[in-house]
Amino acid sequence: MSGLSAAAQEAIEAIEAGPQGPTVGAFFDLDGTLVAGYTAATFYGDRLKGRDVSPAEFLRTVVTAVDGELGGDPTRIAHVAFSAMRGESEEAFADLGERLFRSKIAGTIRRESRALVMAHQRAGHTVAVASAATKYQIAPVARDLGVEHLVCTQLVVEDGQFTGATDGPMLWGRHKASGVRAFAREHGVDLADSYAYGNGYEDVAFLSSVGHPTALNPHRDLRAAAARLGWPVLDLSDPVGGSLVAAGRTVAALAGMNTGVVAGLAYGLARRDAHEGRNLAVRLATSLPMALAGVEVDVQNRERLWTHRPAIFVANHQSALDIPVLGNLLERDFTIVAKKEARWDPRTFVGSLVIDPAWIDRSDSASARATLDGVVERIHGGTSLMIFPEGTRSATPVLGPFRKGAFHLAAQAGVPVVPIVLRNTGELMRRSSLVLNPGVVDVCVLEPETDWSVDDMSERIAALHAKFEQTLARWPA
Amino acid sequence: MSAGEDLERWGGAAAWSAGAELTPMQTLLWRAERHPVQSSTTTVVIDLDRAPDWKRFVAATEWGTGLVRRLRQRVVDPVVPTAPPTWADDPTFDLGYHLRRERVSSREEMLAQAAQVALRPFDRSRPLWEGVLYEGVPVEGGEGAAYVLKIHHALADPLGTVQLLSMLQSGRRAHTARKPLGDEVAAPVGVDGVELAVAGLRADVSTLPDLARTSVRTLGHAAVRPQAVVASALRYGASVRRLLTQTARPSPQLSPRTGKRWTFLTFEAPLAPLRAVARQGGGTLDDAAVAMVLGGLRRYHARRGSDVRELPVGVRVSLDRADDLGNRFAQALISGPLSIEDPVDRVAAVRGEVLSLHTERALEVLDAAAPVVNRMPAFVGASALRTAVPPDAFVLTLPGPPRQRFMAGAEVQGMYVLGPLPGAALTVCLVTVGDTACIGVNVDASAVADLRSLEECLAEGVEELTSAGG
Repeated sequence: MSGLSAAAQEAIEAIEAGPQGPTVGAFFDLDGTLVAGYTAATFYGDRLKGRDVSPAEFLRTVVTAVDGELGGDPTRIAHVAFSAMRGESEEAFADLGERLFRSKIAGTIRRESRALVMAHQRAGHTVAVASAATKYQIAPVARDLGVEHLVCTQLVVEDGQFTGATDGPMLWGRHKASGVRAFAREHGVDLADSYAYGNGYEDVAFLSSVGHPTALNPHRDLRAAAARLGWPVLDLSDPVGGSLVAAGRTVAALAGMNTGVVAGLAYGLARRDAHEGRNLAVRLATSLPMALAGVEVDVQNRERLWTHRPAIFVANHQSALDIPVLGNLLERDFTIVAKKEARWDPRTFVGSLVIDPAWIDRSDSASARATLDGVVERIHGGTSLMIFPEGTRSATPVLGPFRKGAFHLAAQAGVPVVPIVLRNTGELMRRSSLVLNPGVVDVCVLEPETDWSVDDMSERIAALHAKFEQTLARWPA
Repeated sequence: MSAGEDLERWGGAAAWSAGAELTPMQTLLWRAERHPVQSSTTTVVIDLDRAPDWKRFVAATEWGTGLVRRLRQRVVDPVVPTAPPTWADDPTFDLGYHLRRERVSSREEMLAQAAQVALRPFDRSRPLWEGVLYEGVPVEGGEGAAYVLKIHHALADPLGTVQLLSMLQSGRRAHTARKPLGDEVAAPVGVDGVELAVAGLRADVSTLPDLARTSVRTLGHAAVRPQAVVASALRYGASVRRLLTQTARPSPQLSPRTGKRWTFLTFEAPLAPLRAVARQGGGTLDDAAVAMVLGGLRRYHARRGSDVRELPVGVRVSLDRADDLGNRFAQALISGPLSIEDPVDRVAAVRGEVLSLHTERALEVLDAAAPVVNRMPAFVGASALRTAVPPDAFVLTLPGPPRQRFMAGAEVQGMYVLGPLPGAALTVCLVTVGDTACIGVNVDASAVADLRSLEECLAEGVEELTSAGG
């Protein structure tokens, strides 16, 4: 079972058992607490790549950073960085923040940190990110976690450009603590009942301003202080990075997939039964690579995958891993809907031979309708359909809005919808990553829903969306 | 108050201060002493509701010195610093040298005289304490008295002094007959400096093989894992540097300090509201005491038109647990905020600063260095104590007697500790006496331009905190 660690589960239970409501605050540090690593390093890496950095600035940065490590003023490094930003456009920097979030930072959000945030949100607490970072680093993460409040370092902007100065102190160490206390006064938060999570040695003042401090994956010196102060220490697992071994297994998995496809199709040709050949190919193409990559599936309510066929299976989508996982679950007699443009895409070509998707031409609505009629026909012929109603992969486990297409098909074909919730595929294979990490995928099949009609479709979709969210937030034991 | 409780406490006093040698830290303070600028003298002022009968007072003190042998012992130094100094009975002990009485006409006069007593250096060849009973201090409805006790840090630190005094005082106004005595008068030990030095050297030589083995092991470890050793050394060095340099600069409003003009001020406040403010700010009474002093200094700086936003404050940090328990303490500096108006917020800020010290692995640096520094000439120790930025104020909280106490038939009305000024402009000690906080402030008068104004501001700072918690 790859659920939450016992310690994280215990922390969440304590939150649930404690006082509820908005007068209780929950303050999360960003770097090293909500996300693994330093977002500032990601930003600086991007700057270096873009050669925005002069050798003099680079040297100054390195010297300041080393001095900060050796007992000098650790906030000076940030001021060096801020002053180097003078004259840059705020809008462009905010865009950069969004871009870096999607490409890099989203994948570093700790799953168990997210679970803690959600536990506080369920308790109705006032949740805030409290960090010395700027809002350009924090806002995308906070938005993704559904956190409304930021307590952070403010940069001065004039005429849409940074002046290189900060508005007020950098919220580091004592200033973060006083920022949190000021926030508490403004929002009527009772600090004695509140929670704070931090990892840096400079977070002691911040943590000590609340009644329930937790040192989360703490820095060595904070760990020592926490032991002395009797504060709980919580060690959460980091998002899995692509190790060399994992990369090797991925290559093996891809090879296995191709072997499976070829073997399956060859079987079909030999037996002159393309249908059975395809079913075998799917089985082999999905189970071989997953076994080779060390991915296992833990399914709840597996029987619901078979009780209502043919059906429309809908699942949430975070990772390229979702497709082989679902293929592995559905095993046989299913297909997907795909854009016509993707038909000759070399990356999906082999797969499409196997799965024989229902192609939709989005540019031509008459033809699209005709194809959909064809799809309904195929459904009636016994082929189930697998659809990701979010349309695209999300960068993080946060559920996107559902589109209606899948449910219209269900109404038209008069078949049930079987909802499948996938929990952690995004962790085993990050968005935009080609490396598959070993682990267990948690799957929960929800109650199949029948009798779809256009009349109450919007409400039923909303209700189903809520069920997905609930299941993701509180994974059934 | 039962007499039995008294007897039990007195029994404890007899067992007090058993070790013969000075601890490394006491040794450092003893050798590095440059009175009064780098002084290790604590002065206690005890307000009494009436003048005790002098004969009974002398007899009681005589009894006390018999019970606590340390009060009749002197420090013997080895001729070369191969061994720590040792306590030995002083064969020439004469109570008359240590205890006397004077007459004053006001409490201010008594405090001024007490400061003069404190400023005079000890005779280092005799037991390290001196007591003066001041009679004629006016109190409500009559004439009270004040007992001023000056005691050297090597004999007892401020905490020990208060403990000792609370132990020796009585729970009853009436005389207690048949009080316990210490062990039968031990024969005065004829320790001399040469013998001590030789004994120390012999001990050093006998531990040499062990020392060599340890050194070889350490070097071997360093050779095998140089990265780990270097990293650890760098981290320790960084921590030392942060502790020594990363606090606020001393305030120009509290200089130039000479350390030679001590002025004693006393304040009192009810304890309950102070504890309430401490709780509201998530801190302890120590944090509240620091916030209270900062409140006073904040007002003083505002009056002087100064824009200092923070100043260095020396605090005591428990090395065992954060909440003032345990026996191991380190002295450290925090940046005390002067810009925070709200007293509760100020307590919280102080709390954060103090707890942040716990991430510093070098917190015990002076303790760790003391044994080494002690083997070097005295001026090395003196400068070791001076390396850090001197704080503008030291603030210390001490637990005093929890209940009513008497000295030779006079009731204790208040107990104030006036600490030394090792480079600081103020030393503030808050002693809890029953349900009252007795706040003693020693001010370097040469560092403060307007002493009267400072006194008013500190009083307002006390008032601010008590009303915030009331």
